[in-house]
Amino acid sequence: MVYKPQEIAENVNVTPVHPLVNFANLLGTVVLFSALAYFGLGIAANQLATRISPETEAKIGQHLLSTVSKTDSKFNSQQQYLEQLLASLQTSDPRFAIPITINLVDSDVANAAILPGGNILVTTALLKEAKSENEIAFVLAHELGHHLNRDPLKGLGRSLVFITLSSVLGIGSGNTDIVSLTGSLTNLHYSRQQESAADVYALEATVNLYGHGEFSLDFFERVQTKDKRGKLSVYFSTHPLTQERIEYLHKVAKKEGWQMTGEKTDLPNYINFTN
Amino acid sequence: MEEIIFFIFLLSLGYFVGSWVEKKHYKEIKQRERKTIHVPVVSFGAKQKIPSANESALFAGSVVMSADYFKMFASSLRNLIGGRVVVYESILDRGRREAVLRMKEQAIAWGATQVVNVRLETASIGNQASGGKGMFAVEVIAYGTGIR
Repeated sequence: MVYKPQEIAENVNVTPVHPLVNFANLLGTVVLFSALAYFGLGIAANQLATRISPETEAKIGQHLLSTVSKTDSKFNSQQQYLEQLLASLQTSDPRFAIPITINLVDSDVANAAILPGGNILVTTALLKEAKSENEIAFVLAHELGHHLNRDPLKGLGRSLVFITLSSVLGIGSGNTDIVSLTGSLTNLHYSRQQESAADVYALEATVNLYGHGEFSLDFFERVQTKDKRGKLSVYFSTHPLTQERIEYLHKVAKKEGWQMTGEKTDLPNYINFTN
Repeated sequence: MEEIIFFIFLLSLGYFVGSWVEKKHYKEIKQRERKTIHVPVVSFGAKQKIPSANESALFAGSVVMSADYFKMFASSLRNLIGGRVVVYESILDRGRREAVLRMKEQAIAWGATQVVNVRLETASIGNQASGGKGMFAVEVIAYGTGIR
């Protein structure tokens, strides 16, 4: 046998594909699957938010509430007052399957929010700013409207899937996980339709309670007319209420035949912390 | 944002510099292969009689090749899906040819007429030791018996 030296002409050991083409294929596949998972989670969260049972919602709420500080005992009288007001706003709607609770938070910014599981957070500054009971009733009823429409659950978005799993199965119940998932818990942003539906519900509830809708919207109108960057503005950064929405509410009231004039219901002094 | 910029910087550094180095290396490999083509390098000789010669000696050529950031990232993506790790093929190919050349060049300097019973071995360096992270480097060693 004679050895005949040869140059390596064609290299079969290296696949003749451009590295960038190969890279694009890999990246494309991975990105495609990530996108599918993202949309899948979105659909799952949406389905969960509308189908979840009240018991499970209460469980999730308990999970989340442990991350929020409980009401200070020095606000007992204010809390009692708010709970009575809330009870009178709640109609015998079967959707109120789980009890709604109120937590007063000592804060300088006026705000209110509802957590999944029916926990309403109200700041002390909101009470100080209020000029009549009608205003507070509207704010509470607005949050109830969100609750009935399951907006807090929807607002959790994709993290709802993980929170539900961890609270139902009892796995990974470390609060730190959930806090990071729901970092903006009291800062949930709802869509315009969600806000509008909650507004209409709130107006209906206040009309049912007082027989009229006057003074309920004073909070909003006061802010519309004067200080836009005042203490109330934080509430409106999470609940943006435009002139458009006030007009819409008046239109709905007209259509439904709700009375928009009537007596003002005063607040007890201790609510405003004025005594 | 800064992380993304840094990541893209590393990725393009790996791609552009890496492919420039690879192109240069291949050019050099081909040139050296042409220069040493007159000495046969064969795997023949393990269980057979080697050609009769006056003298024989062991020659080993070893090289350590590393992947660049681009190749490492592309292979980590490939790891998710599975299949041929195309980006690493050229590293191993360069490693094998470089190791054989180093062995052969030593043998030629010694005065070998051919190198028989040539074997190739590979070992990965640093990859497992640091928990799968860090560097990807591979050692290729070629050894054979030079005769004259």
